[in-house]
Amino acid sequence: MTLASLTKPWAPMSYGFLDASAKRELRRKMIKAVCVPGCQMPYASREVPMARGWGTGGLQVSLTLIHPQMRVKVIDQGADDSVNAASIRRFLARVSGAPATLDTLEADLIQSRHRIPEEILREDQVLVLQVPNPEPLRSVQPNMSIARQMHGDADYGRMWLQLYEQIVRSGRVMQGASYPSMVNGRHVMTPSPIPRWDVPKLHMAQHLTILSAGREKRIFAVPPYTRVEPLVFDDVPYRVEEHGGLTCYRSGAKGFFMNEIPQGDGSSAYEVSDSEYGVKAIRTRDGEAIETGETWYKNGEMPQ
Amino acid sequence: MAYVATRGGERAIEQSERLFREAMGPIEAARVAEIRAAMPYLIDRVMGEASLYDEDLAALALAQTGGELYEAVLLLRAWRTTQPRLGVAAAVEQGDLFTHRRISAAFKDIPGGQVLGPTLDYSHRVLETDVLAGKPFDPPKVDPADNPAPAFQPSVSAWQAANDLVDLPKPDTTKGEAIPDVTREPLLFPSKRAHTLQSLARAETGSVLALGYAAMRGYGQAHPTVNELRLAEAEVMVTHPSGTAFSAGRVKVSQAEVVSKQGETLGLGFAATFGWNEVKCIAAATLDLNAKGAPKGSATEEEFFLYHTEGVEASGFCIHFKLPHYVTFQSSLDAMRDARAKPVKEPAE
Repeated sequence: MTLASLTKPWAPMSYGFLDASAKRELRRKMIKAVCVPGCQMPYASREVPMARGWGTGGLQVSLTLIHPQMRVKVIDQGADDSVNAASIRRFLARVSGAPATLDTLEADLIQSRHRIPEEILREDQVLVLQVPNPEPLRSVQPNMSIARQMHGDADYGRMWLQLYEQIVRSGRVMQGASYPSMVNGRHVMTPSPIPRWDVPKLHMAQHLTILSAGREKRIFAVPPYTRVEPLVFDDVPYRVEEHGGLTCYRSGAKGFFMNEIPQGDGSSAYEVSDSEYGVKAIRTRDGEAIETGETWYKNGEMPQ
Repeated sequence: MAYVATRGGERAIEQSERLFREAMGPIEAARVAEIRAAMPYLIDRVMGEASLYDEDLAALALAQTGGELYEAVLLLRAWRTTQPRLGVAAAVEQGDLFTHRRISAAFKDIPGGQVLGPTLDYSHRVLETDVLAGKPFDPPKVDPADNPAPAFQPSVSAWQAANDLVDLPKPDTTKGEAIPDVTREPLLFPSKRAHTLQSLARAETGSVLALGYAAMRGYGQAHPTVNELRLAEAEVMVTHPSGTAFSAGRVKVSQAEVVSKQGETLGLGFAATFGWNEVKCIAAATLDLNAKGAPKGSATEEEFFLYHTEGVEASGFCIHFKLPHYVTFQSSLDAMRDARAKPVKEPAE
């Protein structure tokens, strides 16, 4: 036996970029996050070769979970070909050799910035959401240590008050994306800046969702089959964006979350925000036999 | 739509990176060596903010990024974080620092003497424009001192403590792996003393200056007196597995002690960093001095200034606003339009 046979050959970086100690910490924090759904777990959050705020939290989770057989999909604002999604996908491939896919049904791991795909995710899939601000209480309490205590006490009164004030002032809840939601009846979390359209997809979902904020160094999770309930008053129901009746001008798909494209004549056209779903709709329309998964929304409505 | 929804993102980002790099041309070892030799204070600043002491890597990072400081620091940090921690050097006491410059504003003279060392403080800030006309600027040689200043000196606060003017914190005897490491664990508040000092050591110089300056102007309670400012070299003493302690070399460090009267005693603020960076140390020590009892949410509260002087995080978040945000924006538009369509009923008088 030689010394060389006991060690691995030198490599400029570890598999999946992060070293073993960073991955171990992330695995531990992910397990904790799954055990206490919606509760923010602080983690060291290593620097990665990408700027903070550009998906470094999601990236660290993906780098920890990735293996050479894992099929990875990366989307940004619903689009696979967005420049930053392309950059993250290229980096993941470079450091892991894992195959990339654009197809939601084919993906084992989906790293996403601010959208959940329209096709229903399965138990064997993991969704990693990039999170800019993990603290739903930030708007009522910018101090992280006080906010942490408020979560400990389940002290969400100011959150409710803020929603109430919006209704009084504007006649409705004015929260756009990042709608604060109660997870498993205990912790209020931000679902990350996904549109309100996507929040019901997390409720009792079959898949595991891991939310990771790299800059703010917090990780939290929604395990499969967990309640995720947007904060609403009994007499003011939760409302998603009024996109149920819109039709995609490119694919003809109807009843999904749309991108609004301003037109020269002052009007707007709409295209389906889940870019790969749009591609599938076009290919199906053109007569190709491709598989499109069951969607969460049917005819623009989320079945209760 | 053009920079997102087109299928060509991969090619576009590759070409944009090429465009950036092309402007700087090929990078050779000679360029890196020149940067290292010509810009020691820039190298120091980058090494301090990256918390990685390696002048060659810092020069390489500057060469690769064309001097974009935030990018250079991020490059080094991302490299640093993947390196194994092979060992922990012995703690360096102030009296063990090989001192180049040590000044005190608190006393006219101090034990060990005021040692000006290298500084531009009293220089006239005049551009040597002759250089551009082809006449090299050849600085006059330094005349060696008749009585060289002692290389090792105690801190001024040690004298003050002996005279019962200041309460020094109890020496922290934590050793080796047990020392909290802010790069390996999250920063939580109230923060561990080690985390605070490490965060200040890594903080971005400009941000520390901005918040420290705010505290100096009056948004803090304590007005700093520079008790001692020191530029020095520290011996990195490590222990070989066989048990022998040896020096792995010296690193340049700077440190500042600032004090202010707090009741009948002196409050003490401290900061130190890799490399020689006086502005950062004085500003950071001022923040440290003001942190005790600072109101929540004020610029001198520890949580506030430690979060907001983290240059890699701050700059990354700032530039992330260039990323498309149209989903979030659409979601807000939807709520706005709906609220406008249905005006709120005026409450009956």
